[in-house]
Amino acid sequence: MSRQPEDRGSELRALFFESAAELLQSLNEAGLELEAHPADEDVIRRVRRAVHTLKGDSAACGFHKLSELAHELEDVLTPQIAHARGAELAELVLAAADSFGAMLTAYQRRVDPPSVAALHALIQRLLEAPPTAGVSAGEPSPGHLPARFEWTEYEQLMISEAVHRGESVYNIALRIDPNSLMRAAAFQLIRNVLHGSGTVIALRPEDNAAAASVEIVEAALASSQPEQKLAQRCKIPSIVSDVRIERAATAETPEHELLGDLLEAQAAQVGAAASEQGENPGQPATAGATSAATTVAESTLRVDATRIDAVMNLVGELIIGKSMLNRTLTEFDQKHARDPLRAKLADAMAFQARILDELHKCVLKIRMVPVEQLFRRFPRVVRDVAKQCGKDVALEVSGQNTDLDKSILDALAEPLMHLVRNSVDHGIEPADERLTVGKPARGTIYLNAYHQGTQVVIEVRDDGRGIDLVALRARAVEKGILKPEEAQRLSESETLNLIFESGLSTAAEVTEVSGRGIGMDVVRTVLDRLKGTVHVSQQKGKGSSFQLRAPLTLASIQTLLFRVGGRLFAVPLSSVVEITRISDQEIHRIDQREVLRLREQILTLVRLNHLSRLHSIDTQPAKKKTFVIVIGAAEKRFGLLVDSLVGEEELVIKALPAEIISSDLVSGASILGDGTVVLILNVPAVLSRLARSTPLGAIA
Amino acid sequence: MKQFAALLRKDNRPVRYLVVDDSVFARKNLIKMIEQFGGEVAGEAGDGLTAIAEFNRVKPDIVLMDITMPQMEGIEAVERIVRQHSDARIVMVSSVGYQENILAALQKGAKHFVQKPVKPEVLYEILRYVLSDDPNAAGAPVALAGEHRS
Repeated sequence: MSRQPEDRGSELRALFFESAAELLQSLNEAGLELEAHPADEDVIRRVRRAVHTLKGDSAACGFHKLSELAHELEDVLTPQIAHARGAELAELVLAAADSFGAMLTAYQRRVDPPSVAALHALIQRLLEAPPTAGVSAGEPSPGHLPARFEWTEYEQLMISEAVHRGESVYNIALRIDPNSLMRAAAFQLIRNVLHGSGTVIALRPEDNAAAASVEIVEAALASSQPEQKLAQRCKIPSIVSDVRIERAATAETPEHELLGDLLEAQAAQVGAAASEQGENPGQPATAGATSAATTVAESTLRVDATRIDAVMNLVGELIIGKSMLNRTLTEFDQKHARDPLRAKLADAMAFQARILDELHKCVLKIRMVPVEQLFRRFPRVVRDVAKQCGKDVALEVSGQNTDLDKSILDALAEPLMHLVRNSVDHGIEPADERLTVGKPARGTIYLNAYHQGTQVVIEVRDDGRGIDLVALRARAVEKGILKPEEAQRLSESETLNLIFESGLSTAAEVTEVSGRGIGMDVVRTVLDRLKGTVHVSQQKGKGSSFQLRAPLTLASIQTLLFRVGGRLFAVPLSSVVEITRISDQEIHRIDQREVLRLREQILTLVRLNHLSRLHSIDTQPAKKKTFVIVIGAAEKRFGLLVDSLVGEEELVIKALPAEIISSDLVSGASILGDGTVVLILNVPAVLSRLARSTPLGAIA
Repeated sequence: MKQFAALLRKDNRPVRYLVVDDSVFARKNLIKMIEQFGGEVAGEAGDGLTAIAEFNRVKPDIVLMDITMPQMEGIEAVERIVRQHSDARIVMVSSVGYQENILAALQKGAKHFVQKPVKPEVLYEILRYVLSDDPNAAGAPVALAGEHRS
């Protein structure tokens, strides 16, 4: 905790919050397990134990509301109820974990805990309803949708005003179809529908960006349409899987009678906001909890991402400023080589540079989030897809604490989701097939993340059947992507890369079983956009592995500067494998390509001015010795012939509008300290240009 | 092949569709489904500009619109069509990689979206939903002939 413990009481509290966070985590996990095995008495017992501990601990700390809720919950956690209403019970356990989390946060902030009426009602329903009566399948039962409808004071005011005007106000909760891969778009559509059905008074989440991580949309809607019609409108096919509509409670109803309740609602929102905030370094109270959803945070701030971006931009400008100063200093050095001021300036410069470096790292760190935030969705995904395919698949996750930029993390969500689904669907064989080849019936998918240099690597690996290269080639030929004779010549890794061809995968590759049917080309598209790479490898019968590599952050990169035809270019240092000098005689021609034999390996050579058709650039007269920068991305390599090397520099990338850069060969630009514009080479684009044969005619 | 109950207009006539996609294959694929749903293809277009012209000519009940196309992208076509015909029902057809574009299209007034490759039963439900969206109509505007998916 950030505060000094005042007495033994606060020490106890700290201990309590710490252990409560762990209990919540185990509740969440148990809830998921319960969903998988509804009647598993072992899990029920575990949940019961966790709840029981929570009950005792919270009572000891004087958190009576929490303790009472835990007590109530305990009553429902019986094997009988689990047998009869397993699915509902699992839902309840998950909802309870959320409520406990919100309450804990509230206690920690020393405000009143939020109302848990909804959860009470759920518990009562489970207790009262005869255990044999199953819920009718067609009717969406409200209990399945844990919605809080915790509106701000202002929104509540709006609701009661609307009711006073004689309008009907409904609280609506919609579950975004868990299979929906385009959550932001789904949310936008929900918004459209809500706005088309009446006046939206309140909406959670509030914007599309937040919708990506949200399962349930809550809204307060004033509408003249009958409830049934609204329900019909809200049941948007392929977007919404579950709907709950109820009349909104106004200030007159006992539920929200007191100001205290309003405050509670607000506290719960603040609490929810805080617990969404994720990791919170330097907090002993939260050190044990890695799952952001259940993190009980003591001093987390929720800040608009645009503000952080603004700071980031300013730091970027400062770095440019630093390099300006550096250049001036170098000039000064040359002019006044004996001036004693030089040393002082250099000292000041070094000091400033160090601080700036720290500052830059700090700002970058703000945007960094552990990959756990993404990974924790997958146990659920794997289970769902495996269920759909009738397979038994386990997920093993490692490297959850690897940090990377939030925006990159968000961008990786979609391709990763696709790869994982694909692995379950196509990689893992059905149990009987696995048994006949001597594998355990249960397949395993491994998710791993780690840092490598300035990149983050995320791996999706499975122990399934691998990828059928022959079938892949055949399909490429069938789809007209390749000619039969070309297909025969492809190496294994080239064949594997066919997976990412858009025409190939979207049609038949993906869909049959899981029905997801998005193309693997999405994976490559996203990675290209991030200036990352995707690499696939496989072992027949033993499984396949996908490696996604992305930069840690989009903001600034270490680059190597070089000149071609008088123009300054940069290439990310992370993609430079080596630099070598060759003489013209060493350049050979094969198949109309210029190649270099470098330590027994044949390297394709690229002349930038040919590739980009920069005709305005005059090629320098042939020199005897030329620099070759060997550039590698994934497994591919090529050599870049350059006129001269300038040096290494940390560049702050400026996004350039499409109108300015007409070529995809350049991924961005940056400004050096002296004002020179540098174009940053887009390595994946150059590689893909190389892979296509026609434009290469220009190189020959 | 799955059987679908015909999706009909309120006046019991077939629903008229405009199919916009730059890939002929994709269009044929959609048209095949439309025919399965008892619909009628009123027009086809391979780019946004043609789509607008065709819309004005045939006044379809539903437009199935691809996101990425030459000349004029789907988003701009949506914007222009909705500007002139606020009641136009446009369903975007796109692969998942283009979420931002779909978002934009929805903001410009598209009614729904469906992921490529399009699955008939998904498209069917979406069309049924979009067709039932008629704020002025009382009751169900879509007549369903026979049992759905018998």
